[in-house]
Amino acid sequence: MKGILKGMGVTFKAMTDKKVTYAYPDVPINMPDRFRGIQHFDPEKCIVCNQCARICPTDCIQLTGKANPDPTKKGKVIDTYDINFELCILCDLCTEVCPTEAIVMTNNFELASYSRDELFKNLDWLNENNQLIRQENNSAMPKKGGEK
Amino acid sequence: MAIRTEELLLNVGPQHPSTHGVFRVVVHIDGEVITSSDPVMGYLHRGTEKLAENLTYTQIIPYTDRMDYVSAMTNNYVLCHAVETLMGLEIPERAEYLRVIVMELQRIASHLLWWGTYLLDIGAMSPFLFAFRDREMILDFFNELCGARLTYNYMRIGGVKWDAPEGWIEKIRNYVPYLRQQLIEYDALVNGNEIFLARLKGVGKYSAEDAINYGLSGACLRSTGVKWDLRKDRPYSIYNRFEFDVPVETEGDCYARYLIRFAEISESLKILEQAVEQFPAEGETMGKVPRVLRVPEGEVYVGIESPRGEIGCHIISKGKDKPYRLKFRRPSFVNLQILPKLLEGETMTNLVTILGSIDIVVGEVDA
Amino acid sequence: MSDGIQKDQPTPNVEPVIEAPAEPVQLHVWHQLLVDRVSQDAVISCVPNAKNNDLITIIVNPEHFLSTATVLKNDEQFQFDYCRNVSGSDLETHMEVAYYLCSMTLNHEVCIKATTNRETPEVQSLTSVWETANWNEREIFDLLGINFTGHPDMRRIMMPDNWVGHPLRKDYVPLDPEV
Ligand code: SF4
Ligand code: SF4
Repeated sequence: MKGILKGMGVTFKAMTDKKVTYAYPDVPINMPDRFRGIQHFDPEKCIVCNQCARICPTDCIQLTGKANPDPTKKGKVIDTYDINFELCILCDLCTEVCPTEAIVMTNNFELASYSRDELFKNLDWLNENNQLIRQENNSAMPKKGGEK
Repeated sequence: MAIRTEELLLNVGPQHPSTHGVFRVVVHIDGEVITSSDPVMGYLHRGTEKLAENLTYTQIIPYTDRMDYVSAMTNNYVLCHAVETLMGLEIPERAEYLRVIVMELQRIASHLLWWGTYLLDIGAMSPFLFAFRDREMILDFFNELCGARLTYNYMRIGGVKWDAPEGWIEKIRNYVPYLRQQLIEYDALVNGNEIFLARLKGVGKYSAEDAINYGLSGACLRSTGVKWDLRKDRPYSIYNRFEFDVPVETEGDCYARYLIRFAEISESLKILEQAVEQFPAEGETMGKVPRVLRVPEGEVYVGIESPRGEIGCHIISKGKDKPYRLKFRRPSFVNLQILPKLLEGETMTNLVTILGSIDIVVGEVDA
Repeated sequence: MSDGIQKDQPTPNVEPVIEAPAEPVQLHVWHQLLVDRVSQDAVISCVPNAKNNDLITIIVNPEHFLSTATVLKNDEQFQFDYCRNVSGSDLETHMEVAYYLCSMTLNHEVCIKATTNRETPEVQSLTSVWETANWNEREIFDLLGINFTGHPDMRRIMMPDNWVGHPLRKDYVPLDPEV
């Protein structure tokens, strides 16, 4: 009996403790800066190097480029860019390899929807997802040998 | 008139809450007593080993997160460690310390989760809430460090992805005495409870010979008096720089396993304390890694101590950037083998007590 | 070496330094012992794996696999009572199973391997020696199709019982590449 009473004591003591739960979703949760949420994509910066699509472990990035409309410039510009969030595991690898930070993480994480089709996000949607962009991106990090 | 009795076949799971995942045990019971049992698994089999053959080494790291999803850091580490051993890479000191800190935090988080859910399994509600409150803090540390709460993808071959953010080490330093204080409370809450003791003592007992023969590792092995901890016996990373004990019990029953995991939390706190103390003020977090990661031809097996036991990684490389064959030795899978033997002759109520005390994570059993 | 605390050691040696050409002392002793205790042709090759801290890797004649394992477990000089890992692999020309053994009392390790063909792969089961092998062998059977003779319960373990094929084989064709 003694052990049980002792345990009860702890429980009762905890009644006066400060609450530790969050009132989410009534009060939004702020994630730390490094949080890996839905990506933001900036078509201006993208050089269509395809590195992000190649590193993605789940093959959920599809992109196509087209020749630069400005004939004086070389290279390609991005035409379409889709991420399938049914597959994306938010592993951070695409943002890690992107040489120009065209694709970066944000702190937004709310993806729930009633239809799977809505999880297929295109270039415009990703471009408009420009709130709470992560500040600390790969340029702030020591370069690994693999990336330019 | 005698009561007619018949053997009954009962399916426990696959969605039973105390199986901690999707796992099924088919038990034959005679009255209350289990006569034989057959674990059925594979519901969570994702073929990680097959998938890995088509992925580069860096791409496999996020997959390891999903094997033992309550201790993803040690899974990250075992893969990186295996590749680094094969390539003969040097890891910067600061990265090593970060790795040890996150692995020990992970061990604490994992044991806390186990502690809470195990007691929930055997009928105690409040420890669960206590444990989650304190585990949540560790997850917040991880969230701050690498941007995820469960599937970290934190380690890279040759180092770690992120350096500690400002003030992070300080937070860990403060967390250690806080959790010590909490452990005293936990101890008062549960460890003297008579009902709890009655349900655990003498249940699910096995001998040291059995444990070794079945290849058990981690707390399941140490509960029989075998002092075997890979951090001490096959030191990896920088564990030889820390002073800590390996808790051992001799009973081999559920209570012994409980006590060991409980004591391991304190030992991990000791390591954390020392690691934070010795943490180098500056330095690289990423070693010199070639542009394209081509792992030399060869074969390697490394095992490390995860919260559940020995997690190992066996790589056969043919000199490509992808492994030829990758095999994970998963502690939950190996430890679970002893279950049918333990269940024989036990009552149905003890099934949950015994299964819980082995501490499995089904994502790892099935890989 | 296990309990030595080297707090102030400055060099961050993760791995024990590998002295390149020096062979592990046990190499020839063990080889000889196995030849004596098991059979003249028990050992096909016995080499240290330099990539893996010179772990001695013995390729055993499949015909003597079980008897070699029994000797390794019971012989005074070996006492390999603990089986750390069992893995199987499809090497395209042949199949291979590897057992990583360890002795708790003498604190040494070894890896033993047996090879088999790809058409009707068969290896002697070591479940009677180390109980650890039981489910591991079932897993290898399930994923690679290697049949372990003498295994008490050779069933699939991960895949459903009516599954066709063995996924970890290199020539396995996935049911649906999208999955
Ligand atoms: S976060 Fe990972 S899974 Fe998602 S798109 Fe980027 S690389 Fe692919
Ligand atoms: S890695 Fe960056 S620059 Fe290259 S294609 Fe992807 S988003 Fe564009």
